[in-house]
Amino acid sequence: MPTLIPKSVTEAAEPAQRSPWLDARIRFVRNRAAVASLLVLAFIVLACVLGPLLLPYSYEDTDWNQMGIAPTLAGWHLFGTDELGRDLLVRTLVGGRISLTVGLLATLVSVSLGVAWGAVAGFMGGRVDALMMRIVDILYAIPYLLIAIMMVTILGRDFYLVVLTISAFTWMDMARVVRGQTLSIRSKEYVEAARAIGVPTWRIIFSHVVPNLLGIVVIYTSITVPGVILTESVLSFLGLGVQEPMTSWGVLIHDGANVMASSPWMIWFPGAALTLTLYCANFIGDGMRDALDPKDR
Amino acid sequence: MQKFLPSVSLLSVMLALACAAQTVAAASVPAGVALAAKQEWVRSNGSEPETLDPALAESVPANQIARDLFEGLTATDTSGKTVAGVAESWKQVNPTTWVFTLRKGAQFSNGEPISAEDFVYGWRRYLDPKTASQYATTLAPFILNGMDVAEGKKPVTELGVKALAKDQLEVKTPFPVAFLLDLLANTQFAPIHKATVDKFGKDWTKPGNLVGNGAFVLKEWRVNSAVVLEKNPRYWDAKAVVLNKVSFLPIEDSNADVKMYQSGETDMVYQLPPGSYEQMKKTYPAEVKNGPMLGLRFYALNNKDPLMKDLRVRKALSMVIDRDVLASKVTADGQIPAYGLVIKGIAGADVTSYDWAKWPMDKRVAEAKKLLADAGVKPGTKISFTYNTDQYHKKMAIFAASEWKTKLGLETEMDNLEFKVLIKKRHDGEFQIARHGWIADYNDATTFLTLVQCDSDSNDNKNCNRKAEELITQGNQTLDPVKRKALLTEAARLVMEDYPMIPLLQYTLPRLLKSYVGGYFESNPMDHFRSKDFYIIKH
Amino acid sequence: MWKYTLRRVLATVPALLAVITICYLMLHATPGGPFDTERKVSAAVLANLQAKYHLELPLWQQYLYYLDSLLHGDLGASFRYADWSVNDLVAKALPVSLTIGGLSMLLAVALGVSLGIWAALRQNSAADYLLMLVGSVGSAVPSFVLGPVLVMVFAIWLPWLPSGGWSDHEVRFWVLPIALLTLINLATVGRVMRGSLIEVMSSNFIRTARAKGLPMRIVVLRHALRPALLPVVSVLGPLAISSITAAVVTETLFSIPGLGKLIVNGASNRDYTLVLGLVILVTVVAVLLNLLVDLAYAYLDPKIRY
Repeated sequence: MPTLIPKSVTEAAEPAQRSPWLDARIRFVRNRAAVASLLVLAFIVLACVLGPLLLPYSYEDTDWNQMGIAPTLAGWHLFGTDELGRDLLVRTLVGGRISLTVGLLATLVSVSLGVAWGAVAGFMGGRVDALMMRIVDILYAIPYLLIAIMMVTILGRDFYLVVLTISAFTWMDMARVVRGQTLSIRSKEYVEAARAIGVPTWRIIFSHVVPNLLGIVVIYTSITVPGVILTESVLSFLGLGVQEPMTSWGVLIHDGANVMASSPWMIWFPGAALTLTLYCANFIGDGMRDALDPKDR
Repeated sequence: MQKFLPSVSLLSVMLALACAAQTVAAASVPAGVALAAKQEWVRSNGSEPETLDPALAESVPANQIARDLFEGLTATDTSGKTVAGVAESWKQVNPTTWVFTLRKGAQFSNGEPISAEDFVYGWRRYLDPKTASQYATTLAPFILNGMDVAEGKKPVTELGVKALAKDQLEVKTPFPVAFLLDLLANTQFAPIHKATVDKFGKDWTKPGNLVGNGAFVLKEWRVNSAVVLEKNPRYWDAKAVVLNKVSFLPIEDSNADVKMYQSGETDMVYQLPPGSYEQMKKTYPAEVKNGPMLGLRFYALNNKDPLMKDLRVRKALSMVIDRDVLASKVTADGQIPAYGLVIKGIAGADVTSYDWAKWPMDKRVAEAKKLLADAGVKPGTKISFTYNTDQYHKKMAIFAASEWKTKLGLETEMDNLEFKVLIKKRHDGEFQIARHGWIADYNDATTFLTLVQCDSDSNDNKNCNRKAEELITQGNQTLDPVKRKALLTEAARLVMEDYPMIPLLQYTLPRLLKSYVGGYFESNPMDHFRSKDFYIIKH
Repeated sequence: MWKYTLRRVLATVPALLAVITICYLMLHATPGGPFDTERKVSAAVLANLQAKYHLELPLWQQYLYYLDSLLHGDLGASFRYADWSVNDLVAKALPVSLTIGGLSMLLAVALGVSLGIWAALRQNSAADYLLMLVGSVGSAVPSFVLGPVLVMVFAIWLPWLPSGGWSDHEVRFWVLPIALLTLINLATVGRVMRGSLIEVMSSNFIRTARAKGLPMRIVVLRHALRPALLPVVSVLGPLAISSITAAVVTETLFSIPGLGKLIVNGASNRDYTLVLGLVILVTVVAVLLNLLVDLAYAYLDPKIRY
């Protein structure tokens, strides 16, 4: 039978299906700052991973004749050297590896734990909520220095321990924030409806509540990341983080802050790297929040 | 006959000193210097004092303040010399007995006269185990029965101090102590007003309660903020005291300290931040002060550790460290390389060194490599280094680690611990190489010898050289200061030939002091200053 | 609501007990004791020191001793600051931390909320990016860098303010520390406010309000702000607590005699009584602040009921 209607018409009449993720990506791209930040961050990550392989110095090579010199092209000390003659560029990149990895891992652990805890507490309400949040209150009151000292001296020194220790203090903020938001969502109509038709509680939490938490979670995550990286530097300074000669941005910045007046490059470069990364994280976070917001047209 | 002569010469020396002491004034303002109208000094003091009770004061900041609030039989002037304090004169009756005569009119800050009984009370209180002073056993060995009293083995009444009359105090020592006068300048040996302590108990050191006999009284004490002192009008030498007010600020962060100085909040920086000396010398050439202190930076070696117990290994580790580079480039603040236990400027023994200290570095490295090979230690062996969190120590540690790596091929594992944990590990012998430092408690070599003596509580290396031990005991019994010096020097040399630890540098104290603050002496080796020797110049 | 408040306040007691017990065990489990010093002490002195602080007793007995003295309002004697009782130390440090922490929180909220609102209403514009850039300085630049920079600019180059120190009545000592804390807290408040307001602005009821023709000012301030403040209030709890009790970097940089310094010195010196005393204080402050936050939730979102 010959087709009376040309294919082009029938096919054109069906609009292409757009997945919500595609929607999100389109909205994200619209946020210029977020896109720029993504590119910058990608560049930083690449530099940290590949950079040290290309440079002539190792991060621990001391040079007693080139101590504390300002950035110079001679000898390829593009960022200058620190007070022990170690090349700052390599150290900044290697330090970046540590800071970024710690930032990523600790945030991951902290967010997962915090969201799970807060969502369950907020949704269950009543006694369960009270108990869970009292536990959070209790953990809050314990000075983190104490926990840090204890964990390191008893469990020993290990990179993953640093991650664990940092996550241990940062998940609670997320839990509180998430719980507050959950309380609010719980009383919304679509949740009532889901409950009315008999959807099991856990399903409601993870399919309805959590996606609607995404906005605040994403924002708070991008607030957590700088906090995590900075906490790591404070721990390293107290002798509870990465050990010499390994370094991290936090350690470099802390050391640099001490000699700011006489050797400003020691704080500018790692400081710029950190600040840039954190700003990017912030803008990407804002962009993602805007992108994932189900109500944003 | 022979025995008489040394004690006679000692006596004459003491008498001469006693006469000289009477003519030394307090704040000697040079002629022609105009004084400022406002005589107030704000100074940074390193950290919050743990107490103002002189018997309990252990830290340097606490003792610094105590020196202004209390005064002992003798005192230290601004150049570090021992001068008369509450005691007007003294004589050494026999090698182990001294009699001090207190000056007339000496009174406490509340007007009550000071008598010899107040000294007896103060000393007994200091050494009484019930007072629980952590500093008791450091100075106790030099007073008769002091150690036994401090350890609770004898009652306090057995202590070698007695009031012969209201203004006469007799002091007995277990063996001749040549530096007793220096020792007694410590405020641990100050007179204490018993009635005040009885009345207020633990609160007797609070402003308003504290009764002392120093040049200043306690006006205000805000923990972690400031300790403020005011001139004591009842002090026996009050007319020579120029300053009216002294404020001690416990600023722990040396960078914050410098900033407070730069913005004019303080007139003195306690200690410059590490690595800033060169820069500060350029920026404030007239205000930088730096003098060698009686202190030694060294690395303790665990002589009982399987790797470290071999002398050859210890010697090799010590030989390859280039102390000249360490002093001139790495720390770069005027410290002096040290190759022995005894440091420059200390009394009682001479500086000792190693023969290889003068060799060129290549020769030292070759020899060290040979030693390691003989000991069976191959390149690539891991050694562990423990230190406490501090920029300065970290820098030195990285240098040492890099020396051991590049010259001997040893891999150093750095372990950065919190201070308390480091101390515990060191005391318990849980380390291979550990960072250590020691400041003299009094100006005599024995204060450093305790670091390497057998069975000494301060010996973390756990080494023991019986022959040296004997020489030290002999030295302490000798009356002849020259002979004593020779014995102690030989003992130090012997012990160091065992390489129990690695001496590195002699401490200096780089700081900033505004040019309008007068009275500072850069070569005060113990860093024992009294505010009464300072004055503010018109500016 | 009063019943809820009462229940929460009563629930503080078991919470406090739990915290004290945990910290107590942690302190004693950490290696190094208060009397581990460079110069070893004689056995007799050590025995007396321990007797002074009841340390020679078995752990559980010490614990009961401590609880007993707590009931009498006595937090014990400090080791590190030997002439002072913990009550004294805490009483003197608390007002200082409250002043700085409290004032900086107020400023951070006022500025952060305003910043967030402005940025939200200009979403994705250059103004938005700029505002967020400026507002986030406190979260992208570490405090131990920002502090010294502030000091260099305002105390040394421009000798307007002191670079450190503290006075109870001279406000010029308060300016820089409060500025530092405010900048840090401002970043968080601003970003959360912005994100939250953007979400709320796209809700149905806002659309209705705008459709009704209400001026933007009324729409935002009267209708959108309340629900939008919810996440901000959530965030205020932890911010306030850390500003008051854990502003260690600020206190060190400016030599301020506050609570943060006491906690760090106490922990480093294993000053058991001091740390426990501070922990109790922090717990009480934390519980109270969290209670306030929860009550604020109920006020902001009428559907939340306890």
